[in-house]
Amino acid sequence: MTESLVVFIALNAIFAFSFYAVLVAGQLSLGQAGFAAVGGFTAAALAPEPRDAGELPTLLLAIVVGMVVGALAAVVLGLPTMHLRGVFLAIATLGFAEAVRILLINAEWTGGANGMSVPKIVTPAIAWVCLALVAYWFWRQGPSSYGRALAAIREDELAARAMGIDVGRHRLSAFVTAGAVAGLYGVLWAFYVRLLAPEDFAFGTAIDGLVMAVVGGSTTWLGPLLGSGFLTAVPEVQRALGVEAGWVRPFVASLLLLLVIVFLPGGLGSLIPRVRVRVPKDGAGAEGGGRLVERPRTAEGEAVVRVRGGNKDYGGVHAVRDVDLDVASGEVVGLIGPNGAGKTTLVNMISGVVPPSSGSFEVLGTTPGRTAVHKVAQAGVSRTFQHSKLFPRLSALENVLVGAHVVSRPTFLRRLLWLPGARRDEQDVVAHAARCLDRVGLADRAGEDASSLSYGDQRRLEIARALASGPSLLILDEPAAGMNHVEADSLSELIGSLAREGLTILLIEHNVGMVMKTCDRIVVLNFGEVIATGTPAEIIEDPAVIEAYLGGDDAGPARETEEVR
Amino acid sequence: MQQLLNGLFLGSLYALFAIGFTLVFGILDRLNLAHPAVFAAAAFVGIELVAVGGLSIWVALPLVALVGAVLGLIIERVAFRPLKGRPDAHFAGLISSIGLGGMVIALLLWRYGPDTRRFPIEAFPTQTFEVLGARVTVLQAALLVISVVLMAGLTWLVARTRLGRAMRAVAENPRAATVLGINVDRVTATTFALSSALGAVAGALFAMNVNSAQLGMGSAIELKGLAVIIVGGMGSLPGALVGGLVLGLAEVFAVQYIGSSWRDLVAFGLLFLLLVVRPQGLFGSRRVREV
Repeated sequence: MTESLVVFIALNAIFAFSFYAVLVAGQLSLGQAGFAAVGGFTAAALAPEPRDAGELPTLLLAIVVGMVVGALAAVVLGLPTMHLRGVFLAIATLGFAEAVRILLINAEWTGGANGMSVPKIVTPAIAWVCLALVAYWFWRQGPSSYGRALAAIREDELAARAMGIDVGRHRLSAFVTAGAVAGLYGVLWAFYVRLLAPEDFAFGTAIDGLVMAVVGGSTTWLGPLLGSGFLTAVPEVQRALGVEAGWVRPFVASLLLLLVIVFLPGGLGSLIPRVRVRVPKDGAGAEGGGRLVERPRTAEGEAVVRVRGGNKDYGGVHAVRDVDLDVASGEVVGLIGPNGAGKTTLVNMISGVVPPSSGSFEVLGTTPGRTAVHKVAQAGVSRTFQHSKLFPRLSALENVLVGAHVVSRPTFLRRLLWLPGARRDEQDVVAHAARCLDRVGLADRAGEDASSLSYGDQRRLEIARALASGPSLLILDEPAAGMNHVEADSLSELIGSLAREGLTILLIEHNVGMVMKTCDRIVVLNFGEVIATGTPAEIIEDPAVIEAYLGGDDAGPARETEEVR
Repeated sequence: MQQLLNGLFLGSLYALFAIGFTLVFGILDRLNLAHPAVFAAAAFVGIELVAVGGLSIWVALPLVALVGAVLGLIIERVAFRPLKGRPDAHFAGLISSIGLGGMVIALLLWRYGPDTRRFPIEAFPTQTFEVLGARVTVLQAALLVISVVLMAGLTWLVARTRLGRAMRAVAENPRAATVLGINVDRVTATTFALSSALGAVAGALFAMNVNSAQLGMGSAIELKGLAVIIVGGMGSLPGALVGGLVLGLAEVFAVQYIGSSWRDLVAFGLLFLLLVVRPQGLFGSRRVREV
């Protein structure tokens, strides 16, 4: 182990962390080389002579400058590009990094393509202390409410919005973190290699950083270190083993890369067992929860939903036509109708997920369509989706914890400082989430991945997740679909007990028996229009409803195979 | 006029390279970063066929395309098929294709060494002719014709043939395509073979155009290929053609009017602006977000 190898493992790991910072939020960015370049060059240009200021103060000052500049560059790049996803974001950020490199090559103060001479200050100890600090940051970030929100965005952005997470802000802050860490890397690199050249931050560098982060895996904070150790050490190990230089070494290195990625989904980090949030043995039943954020409550009878002339057109198709709908606090309203009647479109508009074509929507003081989805959720709307939108790679408990986002206090900064309050807050939220899981009968499945649950369990988990936010209005979109009789009956009881607690519920369901049993009032949609509204007893007698379901003489054959029970 | 033609020649090569990129992206939604390695490999293989095998460059080109197709099949089989159905396939595909590309480059290093290789000078036809006052070699004219014919052929294939219909079906919805009796794996493999064959021809033509082949030539064009498919719109074949020509022309004119050191900035500046203003590219269609 030469000194340079020891330093490069640490520096590369820091660079890999700058990719990890955004990968955990599901963003693929290649701009980190650009952040590192502007950070490194600015810091090297502004730092005083070590002879005048002393080595360590010089480096500390340079690090501060580099990180701030890196973070600022990330803001500048992030603001116009945060609406891009996946490969598009990767290429836009890559274009930025290349543009930065070309500007640096053509600038006077950087020494152009020849580079800039920088004093060597970084020692192995300094490099590893910096790495330890960065790793500590991400270790504490992971299980905080902020870290969970990022994971939720990675898994399913729309569901994250519906849980009240401000996706744009979270994505930007992950991006800025990446910028600061990359800036740190740029500074450390500059003050180690003596000669800083724009070519050090070329496309290949960015690819190396991404490769290290992905090979290491983004499921654990140790991932970047593992990836850097692996990729930095492989050529050295080969040299030590006397493997022929030239083509064999790059060949073996590439082969190992391929093997790791194909046979170890989740990277080297997946070899380390994941630490899952656990339910404390005694906490599950206890009546804690005093440290949760209070949600505003609506008074009994107050208007929760008010829709006037709601319309939604898709091209020439009128999915929803001139619908008026009122839901008062404490009501359980059923929304039924044949497939394609516009039920899901209507609740999508009410929860703000789909903007209406026209009409006025007021929900808990917000105007969905104009108000962002997460703001509607924060106002007290919580929902499940017709096709489950769980966070598949998070455990059942973690899914519910994300659901509790709007009631949990931010803990990340306090976790960094090990303040005891953060731990108590976390425990309270976990206990709250465990109660929600228990309520839907999934307490014993808390540690399982959401994707490994059975279909019926996934539907119940979605309800638990929706409940965890302590909503004023709960929207359930076909919760009983795919459930058997026994499951549907217990779901029916659950909805009944929620209603008795005063929760306002909007229920879409094809299981008409269940709707009749649980709802105070039923609204029937057909072809996007309200054809009937009333109590269950009135609805079941309504000729228009019977015609819609069974088909009248002039309506031709029945379009629907659902049974009316 | 001379600059305009030079831009067209360069742009048609960019387009031919990028069209392979975008073909795979359009159908699989994955970037194949081993594509640049195929580009470089084809240049070396082409030079060997001509210099050692004594073939005419016109015979070597189809053989190079064949080599490219085989490489494409290997890439699909080794770097992409094992990842099918994995939630992280997006990132993993990038990395696995980088790994495989690195292996290809290492093998080139083994067989051809690190030095620049050239076609024997007598392999090229020497006639030139004038078009509107600009001098054009037969080779350059051939480059343009071959590129345009290949791209037109591919567009026809995707739009009109049974295979093309299957490819579009897989792009739309692989599961539904399976249900309809399309062998998704085979269509995917064919797509890779086609894409890599085009990339290979682009590599050989590029090496002829500048008469040199280097191990790093793939990574040099990789960025430009990415820029082209973004400008044209991800997955859009006509977009890749127009994007390639736009980039080629922009580069040539940037060199002439701004200076060679700023050449790449023009390309990336344009790319960045376009992404911010119109992320779907010039010819791409915005995908509807599903609820």
